[in-house]
Amino acid sequence: MSVRPRVGLFVTCLVDLVRPQIGFAAVKLLVDAGCEVSVPASQTCCGQPAWNAGKDADAAAIARQVIDAFEGFDYVVVPSGSCGGMLRRHYPECLKNDPTYAARARAMAAKTFELMSFLVRVRGVTKVDAKFDGRVAYHDSCSSLREMGVRAEPRQLLASVAGLTITELGEPEICCGFGGLFSVKYPEISEQMADGKIADTLSTGADVLTGPDFGCLLHLAGRMKRQGIAVKVRHAAEILAGTSDGPALGEGTG
Amino acid sequence: MSARADILSTIRMRRTGSKPQPSRYKAPPIAGDQVERFAERATIEAAEVRILGSLGEVPDAVADILRARNMAASVHLPPDARIGALPWGTAIALEHTAPGPNDAAVALAPFAIAETGTLVYTSAPDTPASWHFRPGLEIAIVAAGNILPHLEDVLARVGKPLPSTINLVTGPSRTGDIEQTLELGAHGPKALVILVVKN
Amino acid sequence: MNLDPRNFPQNVHTALGDTRLKSALARLKTHFSVSRKKSIARFGDFETLRETGRAIRDHAIEHLDTLLETFEKNVTARCGHVHWARTPAEACEIILTILREAGAKTVTKGKTMVSEEIDLNTYLEEAGIAPVETDLGEYIIQLRGEPPSHIIAPAFHLHKDQVAETFRKAHTTLDPDRALTERSALVGEARTMLRARFAAADAGITGANFLSAADGAAVIVTNEGNGDLTRLLPKTHIVLTGIEKVVANMDEVAVLLRLLTRSATGQDITSYVSVMTGPRAADETDGPQNFHVVLVDHGRSDLIGTEAQDILRCIRCSACMNHCPIYMAVGGHAYGATYPGPLGAALNPGLIGMALAHHHPNASTFCGRCEEVCPVKIPLPKIMRHWRAQEYAKGLAPKMPVFALALWAFAAKRPTLYKFGARIGARVLKFMAGRRGAVRALPLKNGWFAVRDFPAPQGQTFQEMWRRR
Repeated sequence: MSVRPRVGLFVTCLVDLVRPQIGFAAVKLLVDAGCEVSVPASQTCCGQPAWNAGKDADAAAIARQVIDAFEGFDYVVVPSGSCGGMLRRHYPECLKNDPTYAARARAMAAKTFELMSFLVRVRGVTKVDAKFDGRVAYHDSCSSLREMGVRAEPRQLLASVAGLTITELGEPEICCGFGGLFSVKYPEISEQMADGKIADTLSTGADVLTGPDFGCLLHLAGRMKRQGIAVKVRHAAEILAGTSDGPALGEGTG
Repeated sequence: MSARADILSTIRMRRTGSKPQPSRYKAPPIAGDQVERFAERATIEAAEVRILGSLGEVPDAVADILRARNMAASVHLPPDARIGALPWGTAIALEHTAPGPNDAAVALAPFAIAETGTLVYTSAPDTPASWHFRPGLEIAIVAAGNILPHLEDVLARVGKPLPSTINLVTGPSRTGDIEQTLELGAHGPKALVILVVKN
Repeated sequence: MNLDPRNFPQNVHTALGDTRLKSALARLKTHFSVSRKKSIARFGDFETLRETGRAIRDHAIEHLDTLLETFEKNVTARCGHVHWARTPAEACEIILTILREAGAKTVTKGKTMVSEEIDLNTYLEEAGIAPVETDLGEYIIQLRGEPPSHIIAPAFHLHKDQVAETFRKAHTTLDPDRALTERSALVGEARTMLRARFAAADAGITGANFLSAADGAAVIVTNEGNGDLTRLLPKTHIVLTGIEKVVANMDEVAVLLRLLTRSATGQDITSYVSVMTGPRAADETDGPQNFHVVLVDHGRSDLIGTEAQDILRCIRCSACMNHCPIYMAVGGHAYGATYPGPLGAALNPGLIGMALAHHHPNASTFCGRCEEVCPVKIPLPKIMRHWRAQEYAKGLAPKMPVFALALWAFAAKRPTLYKFGARIGARVLKFMAGRRGAVRALPLKNGWFAVRDFPAPQGQTFQEMWRRR
């Protein structure tokens, strides 16, 4: 009898605040993959806004809190390459001079994964049971791609969804212009970069845009809503979990 | 404190750990024939390459090149006695002054690099360095046996101390400065013909 | 455009509205990134080359003092002179002294970004010496009175009709009715006009792509051949360079050369690579009689031992800016400093300080493409973050975002308070979004809402829903 791995889900502040469905989709995918899932109650934010702004002391304080909260799990799984990257790549950096937490940060980093790459690489998931009718463009999200090395796994899983056609973007790997605080500090450049990604999406004939990172998707959905562009935006977890029948991101009811 | 002392002391004071000595780099070996690889790369870089059997064939080749390019039958020769000693005959007018921007000039390259299709010139009293940048057409002679795989191999042969100038020349002069589109003959020669001599 | 780096947001606004710049950027982006990719694919094991390059540059920075001393010793042994300058002012003064001693009235220049850094041309002109840029792109922008907009393609932002207009205005000795519609005609005209300037120059100033300590040699790479005509024809040659360009020997230069040309223009090698060691030999008729190297610090040595040290590895290929979505949106002039793009974001704060350059490391999404394409693996986003941390630590960061972040961090460290606030926030935003499904604006002026809506939250937080299961 095999023991189910104990996974601590780091749900991320944006998912928690704006779209819990993504969190529940992640839970479903993990449970279907044979994991026992817990959601530590004391998690708030990964601290990336503070870290990226150079507020190292605040980032370190939040990091210690997260490390404490996620002690004792076999894996820490994050439905985001950006927050995942913060935990996996930057916590050890942030806490490298901390006598107690340096080693703990490294230990946690070693068991932290972005959701879809965890399913494929660690749990050996090759396909999902979901159905989704639509032409879907996948935006790679810079952190998922470059910090967590996630590229093939989401495409592999999305390809197994019945009825779904992936339409590859011309430039899937180019930044969408979110970049956290960048999106509010330099809105004009952020807008231009979003428009580039949106034009790319439209040119593929996709009716849905998806990706591994909710921040990118909020930014792109918000920009498209402002311009009245009808492409639907959903997090890849929702599509893979088959829980994507509700309204898409920013899709109104009236 | 002098600027020199200031800068050096800042560096010494700030330096932290010790980074390991970089391991010696081995360039990827050239598969196949060196001369073929050299000719292939040089041609891609917009040089014309001709293979000759012996030095004696050079003057005829030069005459043919000038005819093919509708240029006057006239070339500039550098002071290098080995070039002067070739069987020039009377078909081509020989000039011994520095070439102008529309003239043809001959040069002898002591080495070449197969990896990149590059000629290597070393400055000497009979081979002035600026020679290679003045003409409109440079016709370069290089012995097949002096085509070496990599720059490192050429440097080992050139030895120490280095001459005052080593020029690596790959194809004609070019620029992409206007609209990212390649144009030849920016300041150096507009055309380069390489005569690879087998013996 | 106002070329003060503090003017970045306004410059960005101008740049984003410039359709000619947009098409020039599209052209630059495709051209360089495609060429680079092809040339790397052809090379084979590019990763080993990159790793070797990184190790060479790291080792050189670690031993910068001994390498510079060795370089100086070997230049002097070959009858050259080495000068040291801490600041742009010191560098300009040294160069002027050399030129005055040489009786120089006109000076030709090969491409050197350090010259821009120290604003040498302005200084020389004010001293009555006429510098003539000979790299075609630099020549064009010198005639237009503009700074370069890219470190290796200085005039990429111009279209050929703009170049033609510039040539017509400047080359007044030529037939005003001549045709200048073809690029080849423009290049041919520059070739003719500049050939005379090369010959007439009293001194030539070039940069250096690399310095070989073991030989006391400087190496320059060009495609045009202008660097060579600049340094070979006049009596005096001055090499102007940053202190960090030195490596141990020519074998190390050979490795870096492979990385440089492929990463820059996608060429296996440039048309010309020249290795220059001292003045001409006694029996040579060609080449400078006086050889000077001016080593410029300008903040570089102060980066050693800091988290920004690795930017000193840079070999100035421009791959970072060619792949940067921000640079590719706004171009080089918007940065208002010598080095644009990710290179500038990592280096400018060290050269000119964060008070002037603060926008550069801040205007980044940390997408990481720059680090991905850097031939010597510089962790550019990490260095940019370091400058942001410095800015915050010195109290230089803008007040409002600092305050907002402080509130956020305060809450994030207190889970109960945070979750309470999140529950309220989710409901308030949902309410504001209404049936439309997205919030159009918030009372405070906010960069988000300037260009985007905010999609409506579901209305409850994940945490509260999870606890209720």
